[in-house]
Amino acid sequence: MGHRLRFGALVTSVAQARRAEELGYDLALVRDQPDGDAWTLLSWIAGHTERIGLATAVDAAGWEPAVLGRAAASLDLLSGGRLAVALTGDHVAEVTDIVRGVLDAGEPGPLRYLGERHRVPRAQRGPLPAHRVPVWLTGNDPEDLRRAGRVADGWMADLSRLGAGELATAYKILEDAAVEAGRDGAEIHRILIVGPGLGPDELLALGADTFLVEADDPAPLTSWERLREGSGPPVCRPSSVRAKRRPGIDYEAIPASLAETAVEPGDLDYARVRSTYLRGGSPGVVLRPRTTAEVVDALAFARAHPGVPFALRSAGHGISGRSTNDGGIVLSLAAMNDIEILDPSRRLVRVGPGARWMDVARALAPHGWALSSGDYGGVGVGGLATAGGIGWLAREHGLTIDHLHAVEMVLADGTVVRASSSPDENPDLFWAVRGAGANFGVVTSFEFEVYEVGDVGFAQLVVAADDPAEVLVKWGRAIEEAPRDVSGQLIMGAPRAGQPMVAQLLAVVDHDDPETIIERLQPIAAVAPLYQQQVLLTPYLSVISNAADGGYHQGAGEPVSRSGLIRHLTPEFALAATELLNSGAVHWFQIRTVGGAVADVPADATAYAHRDANFSVAVMGSSARRVDAAWDRLRPYFDGLYLSFETGPDRVGEAFPPATLERLRALKGRYDPDNLFRDNFNIKAATR
Amino acid sequence: MTDYGQDLLFGAFVTPTAAPVHQAVELAVAAEEAGLDLVTFQDHPYLPRFHDTWTLMSYAAARTSRIRLSGNVLSLPLRQPAVLARSHAALDRLTGGRIEMGLGAGAFWDGIEAMGARRLSAGQSVDALGEAIAVIRAVWDATATGPVAVRGTYYQVDGLKRGPAPAHDMSIWVGAYKPRMLRLIGRAADGVLPSLSYLEDGPSAYAGINEHIDAAARDAGRDPARIRRLLNINGTFSQFGRSFLNGPAEQWAEDLAGLTLEHGVSTFILATDDPTAIAEFAGDVAPAVRALVAAERSA
Repeated sequence: MGHRLRFGALVTSVAQARRAEELGYDLALVRDQPDGDAWTLLSWIAGHTERIGLATAVDAAGWEPAVLGRAAASLDLLSGGRLAVALTGDHVAEVTDIVRGVLDAGEPGPLRYLGERHRVPRAQRGPLPAHRVPVWLTGNDPEDLRRAGRVADGWMADLSRLGAGELATAYKILEDAAVEAGRDGAEIHRILIVGPGLGPDELLALGADTFLVEADDPAPLTSWERLREGSGPPVCRPSSVRAKRRPGIDYEAIPASLAETAVEPGDLDYARVRSTYLRGGSPGVVLRPRTTAEVVDALAFARAHPGVPFALRSAGHGISGRSTNDGGIVLSLAAMNDIEILDPSRRLVRVGPGARWMDVARALAPHGWALSSGDYGGVGVGGLATAGGIGWLAREHGLTIDHLHAVEMVLADGTVVRASSSPDENPDLFWAVRGAGANFGVVTSFEFEVYEVGDVGFAQLVVAADDPAEVLVKWGRAIEEAPRDVSGQLIMGAPRAGQPMVAQLLAVVDHDDPETIIERLQPIAAVAPLYQQQVLLTPYLSVISNAADGGYHQGAGEPVSRSGLIRHLTPEFALAATELLNSGAVHWFQIRTVGGAVADVPADATAYAHRDANFSVAVMGSSARRVDAAWDRLRPYFDGLYLSFETGPDRVGEAFPPATLERLRALKGRYDPDNLFRDNFNIKAATR
Repeated sequence: MTDYGQDLLFGAFVTPTAAPVHQAVELAVAAEEAGLDLVTFQDHPYLPRFHDTWTLMSYAAARTSRIRLSGNVLSLPLRQPAVLARSHAALDRLTGGRIEMGLGAGAFWDGIEAMGARRLSAGQSVDALGEAIAVIRAVWDATATGPVAVRGTYYQVDGLKRGPAPAHDMSIWVGAYKPRMLRLIGRAADGVLPSLSYLEDGPSAYAGINEHIDAAARDAGRDPARIRRLLNINGTFSQFGRSFLNGPAEQWAEDLAGLTLEHGVSTFILATDDPTAIAEFAGDVAPAVRALVAAERSA
């Protein structure tokens, strides 16, 4: 395994580091500071540079090793993944283990390390750095070299301190020790400090991949630059990473366009991409395309693995969507998150599938626009806008898909098409995408016509629910009688011993007049005695900005969620729902308002067809068996379900009414006959 | 009534959160742009949701140009005194004298021990801090003859080369509440840095803090007025005055000016991660406190 050649400069000031960055050096290594602190200078340089790699030698004697691990993670994060650390000093193997143990934040449990010199009883790991921080070791004695061969990512030496022939001997010891430890000797970087006078051929003959030049003023790289061309691949995974690969996936065949951003189980980024909001996952590879062309490449790779699970992910919030899997391929669209205003006069915007709805709201807010999505800002565009979109303004503006103007998508065979209601732009596909999109392809951009939304009233009420059935019936009636500018939801949980049963009633009133807002809310607040109330006049953006920035999903297990669409909250339904709550099988019971503008759209206009429902009911529990036992009593009252909140198997027939399903099956046969897109509410192609 | 007549400083107390990665840095920049004098970061190296505070401070220092920076406060048990001295001096020289040292004897000993450091009792940790201050001052004293030699119970430094000296006369501010630590501050430190939310009797508890420090300072032949009185504060900006530091900016100014005039508190550090609150504190509260205090002092 050859490494890419890199050139670095030894620096003692920020000025030298900036000069090296300007000259195109890959790396700046801060030398030991006789009169200062190399780590501090390196952090300072990180804040004053943008691109150049950063490294320094750290004598671990000055640090609590676990704190050094934390510091390395911080500097790597702050610098955007530019750090390498050379560890020196006594007991360096122990320090290496501890630093790595803290950096390996994806490993389960705290770090426990009991060495001869260092003992770490129970350090929490992390934060997860931006990339796998290479740990280099130094030292030219055989013992030092064997240690580096066993554990280091790189071995660094000063050429001026090595006698003739010593370098070759050193490499030999390094490699033998690596092989003995079950590693590939070639994976260890060789970092040499050299003088400035060497010619390209002399340099190459040294057999190292990283050259650090000692000079008061970094010199232009001109004579060396050509050496970079054709040197090793950008990504070289060490044997410890390759050892975690899953069977059935041809990793070497990952298309070149995706190889650099792909994540496999041994990679550091795996912790960031393996799981979703509510579901733990262990995929074999996560492909992260940045362009439509890369999606085409990714689908070719998926087609070549017909027996391997294949999941699509936009931002990974999906409850129903199997946007992760075990040992399969995940196509993550998170990087395709552009938001672009296409035509201000028509309020036409283009959005990538990986954008999150709070990012969309943030981009629209300065124009006074909004687009109702769901109720949570962390949800991604792609999953929601191919399923429906029951949001805070649903009764007034309809579903999210009702404002979809056109899509660009990649079909199962890799064809890139545009779909819209226009007769020459695949109108049937456009019909299918709006409600059953996950069966037909990967949408790479959505064009929405958004609308004007000013400040809105946002009410968060908590009411007594000693008689849950009565609250449900009264709230349902109040919602149905409310003007369309009112949308909202009701949330209840299982009764808890010693605590009064309550219901949370949330509502958005699309009006900027406080008196009108209060007037609209009065009937809702009157359904039961109020425990708490908060009503804000606030931008729509603040209502949907309820997800955290930064961080990554760390879902675990499998959510159990059931969905049903219903016309009216009748007393009979309310009693059955109360029994469900009392059963303790569900910890989350939520009803969102639909109806209004949602019902203005004819049932056959989109693949989302249950237009006459006024309410969307969803429950979550931990045991599928218990949830179903309780949920089955409610099923007679439902007419259809919303597939985004349903995790049960074989419910396709409830997601789509017969006429819709028949048309979908015919289209599936045309657009995805080999059933590449099979993971989420799979529609069986009609046999011809 | 104890007003030591110290110049007033206003700062922000920022959570060093690691996600979003640059949030704390952006708040430091916001504090500088708003006109605050100081931005400070808490230090809990056992918590992986936070950045390493020293690394964060060094990086944030590079992203700012005027504001002073300090730990609030750095956890001594997980950081070596000689390294603290050198790294602070180094960053102070890089920044042209914008760094102060905030030190704490250690809180949350379970976390400290989990990282591999030794658990100390409260009394031991005060003694250890006293020794650490001796080491730090000796390292900074670059012109003294001979190497650093501190032979303490907790820190033994022998033969360490002195220097570098900080670029300016760097202060050591110590987080403290109890008499032994306060007396140590009176003897050896340059400031006391408690948090309002930990003062059991509220702001009036500062009178007791001053008593201990002042007595110890006088016993040691030091001028109590040269020991800075800092306070981490938290509050809410609201339209109508409700309680201490819960009201409009004018009320905040009166509350804080009262603390300066009555207890000599001269540095107010607002705990917030909200740029709007930082702007209001810097733009509306700080000038009004300065005006109220100046008027009273010249009266």
